[in-house]
Amino acid sequence: MDNTIKNLLEQSKTKIETAKDSVELNNLYVEILGKSSKINNLTKTIPALPQEERAQAGQMINAAKKELEAIFQKTKQSLAASHKLGKSIDVTAPGKKQELGHLHLVSQAIEEIVDIFSKLGFSLQSYPEVDWDWYAFEALNMPKGHPARDDWETFFIASHRATSSLIDSQPNPKLGRQVLTPHTSNGQVREMETVKTPPVRMINISRCYRRQIDVSHTPMFHQFEGLLVDKKVSITDLKGTFDYFTKAFFGPNRVTRLRPHHFRFTEPSFEVDVTCGVCDGKGCRICKEGWLELGGSGMVHPKVLEAGRIDPKIYTGFAFGWGIERTIAMKTELPDIRLLYQNDIRFLEQF
Amino acid sequence: MNLLVPISWLREYLKTDAAAKTISRELSLAGPSVERTEKRGEDYIFDIEVTTNRPDAFSVYGIAREANAILNYIGSKSKLQPPVGMDLNLDPDTKEKLTLDVKITNPILCPKFTAIVLANIKIGPSPAVIKNRLEAVGIRSINNIVDITNYIMMETGNPMHAFDYDKILGAKMVLRASRQGEKLTTLDGKNYKLPEGSIVIQDQKRLVDLCGIMGSENSQITRRTKRAIFFVQAYDPQTIRRTTQALAQRTEAAARFEKGIDLENILPVLSRAVYLAKKTAGAQIASELIDIYPRKQASKTISLNFDKLQKYSGVKIEPAKAAQILRLLGFKVQADVAKLTAQVPSWRAQDVQEDVDLIEEITRIYGYHNLPSTLPEGQVPQRTDGSLKQVIALKNSLKILGLTEVMSYSIISKNLLQTSQVSEKEAVELQNPLTEEWQFMRPSLIPSLVDIVAKNQNIKPSLAIFEIAKTYIKQKAGLPTQDLWLSAVKTGDSFYEIKGLAENIMQILGKTASFQKETKDGGIFQKDLAATVKVEGQEVGKIGLLNRNFSGSFGIETPLLALNLNLSIIYSLKSKTLSFHPIPKYPPQIEDISAIFAVQTPVALITEEITKTSTLVKNIEITDIFESEKIGEGKKSVTFRLTYQKSTGTPDAGEVHEARDKIIKKLQKEFLATVRI
Repeated sequence: MDNTIKNLLEQSKTKIETAKDSVELNNLYVEILGKSSKINNLTKTIPALPQEERAQAGQMINAAKKELEAIFQKTKQSLAASHKLGKSIDVTAPGKKQELGHLHLVSQAIEEIVDIFSKLGFSLQSYPEVDWDWYAFEALNMPKGHPARDDWETFFIASHRATSSLIDSQPNPKLGRQVLTPHTSNGQVREMETVKTPPVRMINISRCYRRQIDVSHTPMFHQFEGLLVDKKVSITDLKGTFDYFTKAFFGPNRVTRLRPHHFRFTEPSFEVDVTCGVCDGKGCRICKEGWLELGGSGMVHPKVLEAGRIDPKIYTGFAFGWGIERTIAMKTELPDIRLLYQNDIRFLEQF
Repeated sequence: MNLLVPISWLREYLKTDAAAKTISRELSLAGPSVERTEKRGEDYIFDIEVTTNRPDAFSVYGIAREANAILNYIGSKSKLQPPVGMDLNLDPDTKEKLTLDVKITNPILCPKFTAIVLANIKIGPSPAVIKNRLEAVGIRSINNIVDITNYIMMETGNPMHAFDYDKILGAKMVLRASRQGEKLTTLDGKNYKLPEGSIVIQDQKRLVDLCGIMGSENSQITRRTKRAIFFVQAYDPQTIRRTTQALAQRTEAAARFEKGIDLENILPVLSRAVYLAKKTAGAQIASELIDIYPRKQASKTISLNFDKLQKYSGVKIEPAKAAQILRLLGFKVQADVAKLTAQVPSWRAQDVQEDVDLIEEITRIYGYHNLPSTLPEGQVPQRTDGSLKQVIALKNSLKILGLTEVMSYSIISKNLLQTSQVSEKEAVELQNPLTEEWQFMRPSLIPSLVDIVAKNQNIKPSLAIFEIAKTYIKQKAGLPTQDLWLSAVKTGDSFYEIKGLAENIMQILGKTASFQKETKDGGIFQKDLAATVKVEGQEVGKIGLLNRNFSGSFGIETPLLALNLNLSIIYSLKSKTLSFHPIPKYPPQIEDISAIFAVQTPVALITEEITKTSTLVKNIEITDIFESEKIGEGKKSVTFRLTYQKSTGTPDAGEVHEARDKIIKKLQKEFLATVRI
């Protein structure tokens, strides 16, 4: 018995130590220490031994098993350590990578803005880009004859008289003509109609259209609109919201201010300025006395609340909106915003 | 609208020790913004933005009035000094009185009209102070009388005009709406054919004024003028605006008339002009004053509750302070503990209409910068985000998948519309396009994307781009459909590549899609090399190779792959719900089977058959498909990787063998396959 065990131990040791890889090693494990291995079979022979030899045989077998187990672990480690690692590397050579695409600057800005306002409880909604005169103007306290409703400011949809069954784009007797929304503010009354009872906290981002093109205007652009209506909403809340946004979007050192301004659908109305990032508010070539205009805002005009069937005696609100492109231009010092829509791949791949 | 104001001129009416810098800063915070300050010699010139609701501030005196209120409120010493000569006695100076016969056909066109005839005028250069001030604000000095008209406009905001009295035939003026086809030459020498309904003045014979825009050449003041008519009035703002736009001629005068004029200030302005003419041109009043003012401008009184003021401002502004602010702005105010009533000054009549307007006046002078910053209290509404939130996540995934996002105009040309194969009748057309380039709202994004590929093909021959945007198609009634689409275009000719992308996208969106071969000819996609995509049995778009004629029409020779998915529909469909499946306790047996099939046999059909044949097969993966001469024409070799698995233990060799045999027999029988193993 002694010799049998010793021989088995020596043979097994050699086998294990000369294993080439972990696959072979694992197979050997099954062969040497598995259920039907020789050593296990030896255990089964113990009861056949004379009484006085049994204990010793058992101990020897167990010791052999332990030893083999230890050799296995050692071999496993040394195999792992000796795993081929290549000869030498050039850390300056390019790695193997997936080719990534690029997000458009406008999308990147939208994502950032949405994230910031989501934290303040605003939900992201979207409303038609081709909408009725009522939502785009009339309900926003912009009566007929208002300059924004002129043909040279806003795009209107042609109404073709029926030559076929398609007789759409006709003015609606109640809602007026169809227009390409010149701002996202058409979402204000639509959101009030949807929510019915405040609180309202909405942001609406959409393509907007105006009849102008130059270095700082494209006929299509993106606007961002925020609306908050509740029982206790004041100018100080609007200020706080803008401070929060500005620090999150432009950086902790930037400061905002409200200036008196004029919009038909808000009263009081403000222009929101941010300190210029180039000169730190000291005044330079690209800013106005240290300030950059971010966008318009104001307390929702009572007539707009009424148009949305919300009682202005109970509720107040604030609204704000600005062009995403201008915000991008402010952040990236883009000289001509038309670049955003020329889709030159060399431009797109920069971001 | 922007206004230039030299500080030296401003100080004629604004008596204050405050420095230019202080005035500029305080004005910007509480009133019209000083956008830039230019130093010119000893003087500073402010470039001020005046909002369209504040024509009362669109003049040097108007700015002085604002600045005075603001400076006083913050405790700077300041006093407002109105221009001299605004309340002259306008009785005739000459013994011999001249007549002027004025008729206004429609008082809506001209709510107030004043005129007076001046004689013994000595035309000459203006005094240096007037000349310099006009030049500082960008107006060329002409002669003392013409300069007065411009000076008065810049000083008071009220445009005025002067005619040569001797050129007004019959000393007769009829103010009326123009008729179709009437012509006139303005004093800058331009000829106009007037639109119907412009405001004009006619003398006995001819048109002498294009009211509110510019005077006519035939009645202008010249070096030889001896007698003049001074003429101050207001016009219907909308009519003026229509004319300026129809003629594309927007003068300084028109810019003011179209915002509305303070009717109560017209007579003082005329008086001031006469004062200046007497002083600088030796003029004498030679007629009775003509003052036609059929309906006096209403004066409104508004009451404001202090609770409401606090609700809006967020702070408690003392009633006395609120009243003080309004008084500084020219309102007549009465206040008690709960509310105040304010009578609106004539120059703010159009702008200040209700209590919220008073709140604006009070809070802006109080100073928005003096209000604290707070975050809104109150509940966060229970409202789920719209699909745009999902779109943002999707765009990020597409970027990781190697696609670059483009953004192109939603308004397209007729040419681009025609390539999209949507009829003009269905397309949403603009009534007033800016150019032919932007005439229709696009019904599909694909033409725009292919156009972008065409523009970039010499810069980067291999491209993969996408856009997510709305498309527009007319409906029988109401607004057009405005569905959100995801479109992608990439260079390449492998259908499986674009299908892979579609499958990736569906996985990201949590949908199961099926694909059906496109067998129709003549679309944007190539017949037989494209597929219709369905989710839950509903068609959601197409993928595949683009029709070579279509991409060829953009000058692209290389094959293009495209994907066009209607996200509005996809988002509205149910997503797969993820649930837990127990992890198998026993390892599977895995083996490959290769077999040769007819090329047209869909692999989906084969895998379906295999699944049906043996319950031991838990997963089938297709690891290889190829065609070659070796295996013969019209044949393809397909390799399936089969996973045999059961819950009670690892399948043994016998079980696997049995399943494999069954499968092979089935493939031979159903598909006449040659199994290669």
